[in-house]
Amino acid sequence: MSANPSPIQPIEFKGRMILVSILKLQPAEPAVLQEALEARMQEAPDLMRDMPVVVDMDAMAGTSAQDLLSVLETVRQHGLKLIGLLHSEASAPLADRTGLPLIVLGPRAGSEVPLRPAPPPAAESTPETPAEPAPAAPAPHTPSLVVNQPVRSGQQVYARGGDLIITGAVSAGAEVLADGHIHVYGPLRGKALAGVRGLESARIFCRRLDAELVSIAGHYRIAEDILDSERGDNRLITLSGETIKISEI
Amino acid sequence: MSRIVVITSGKGGVGKTTTSAAIATGLAQEGHKTAVVDFDVGLRNLDLIMGCERRVVYDFVNVINGDANLRQALIKDKRTENLYILPASQTRDKDALTQEGVQAVLDELSKEFDYIICDSPAGIERGALMAAYFADEAIVVTNPEVSSVRDSDRMLGILSSKTRRAEQGEDPLPAHLLITRYSADRVEKGEMLSVEDVQEILSIGMLGVIPESQAVLNASNAGMPVVLDKESDAGQAYRDAVARFLGEERPHRFITTQKKGIFGRLFRG
Repeated sequence: MSANPSPIQPIEFKGRMILVSILKLQPAEPAVLQEALEARMQEAPDLMRDMPVVVDMDAMAGTSAQDLLSVLETVRQHGLKLIGLLHSEASAPLADRTGLPLIVLGPRAGSEVPLRPAPPPAAESTPETPAEPAPAAPAPHTPSLVVNQPVRSGQQVYARGGDLIITGAVSAGAEVLADGHIHVYGPLRGKALAGVRGLESARIFCRRLDAELVSIAGHYRIAEDILDSERGDNRLITLSGETIKISEI
Repeated sequence: MSRIVVITSGKGGVGKTTTSAAIATGLAQEGHKTAVVDFDVGLRNLDLIMGCERRVVYDFVNVINGDANLRQALIKDKRTENLYILPASQTRDKDALTQEGVQAVLDELSKEFDYIICDSPAGIERGALMAAYFADEAIVVTNPEVSSVRDSDRMLGILSSKTRRAEQGEDPLPAHLLITRYSADRVEKGEMLSVEDVQEILSIGMLGVIPESQAVLNASNAGMPVVLDKESDAGQAYRDAVARFLGEERPHRFITTQKKGIFGRLFRG
């Protein structure tokens, strides 16, 4: 092989901040846990399915390893993807048996963001840095979800892992969510939540803004906080620091 | 080929039953063999509007349960040829409408009738879902005010996701908008949504605009579908709607204020 002046590296390590949900488990009967998981899944099945989580079982100290393993199995069965265990007394002995990495949180790990599908909590989203870069890499390209029908009152559309493009209107009482950007080529009268898994650079574009709520990465503004002057045709909604900004395209 | 048409709205009291009676009668007058089915089990009204309440022997639920056959339960309309009414049961509730039972009745009706008009109950629960489930086409009845429009929007979403056509992955069923109790005067004063406002929000094709009219109340009290009142504005508007439903192009009337006096009215489209 001839020498290449700038050889392409076959591998590359990058430090990235990722927002990951922490599932905090409290000691409970298996049936109670099962019920709680099911109830949560029902609330937002699309959001929860295959959601990567790190499990915090600090409160479970004293529970036998066998019971903890069956708890983790239950969590898995409900569609959540375990990507690690928070380091604690209870979790340490399980690392080898589960094959999951033990994760030590940095000093800022005190703040908890309760994860609700919608409306997002007012609490700030604090991305936490895992001690090691998490092994789960996102898929290289997720095709956008294109919706060619109007999204009617009471309907919910979620573009998991990508952008959401709606060619028609989003009615009052409808909800559109995406992990990436949201484009609405009709009037946006319902709720639009972009970057629901923490992507702060996500944006919302709409032909006309008359929304009940707009949200990016958990920061949001409700209709009452959107000025009349900010409503109108061809709007772009972005997150700047912790403020939702509305501007004309 | 028989068509099943659901008359629906989400909200109550907007004129579904009045519309069902008028559209069914109008289709029958045009020579199409038509059955109109009351899905509002427990709150039966269609028989009153059609003026056949004193001839009800068996009802929809009797047929579903096998207590009577369809021929025994269907009431032949006395005024209009080709028109039959299948009344709802007043003593039961919506749980009596099983999917298999409804399908069996609609299948049997389909063999004989050109159009089957399903008068949906209000709400988005079982009764309304059953009325819409097998439909080939929908007429969404809306009053020009925000709550009615929002409920219709919700119903349109349900039609596009919870009907047999949607579940089988076919094209969503065509839905037509019918605005009832429209008052051009009140729109002008800003007290009511305009036709354009409603259509902009719901973005479906407009079948007709029925003006607010004393004739509707009179017709209901007399047990006569308002479409038979040929002199009345509401009756004429329903006739136009039926013609449009059958594919005819007609200009919309009664959507602007009428200050022109008698000559202006005579020379309108």
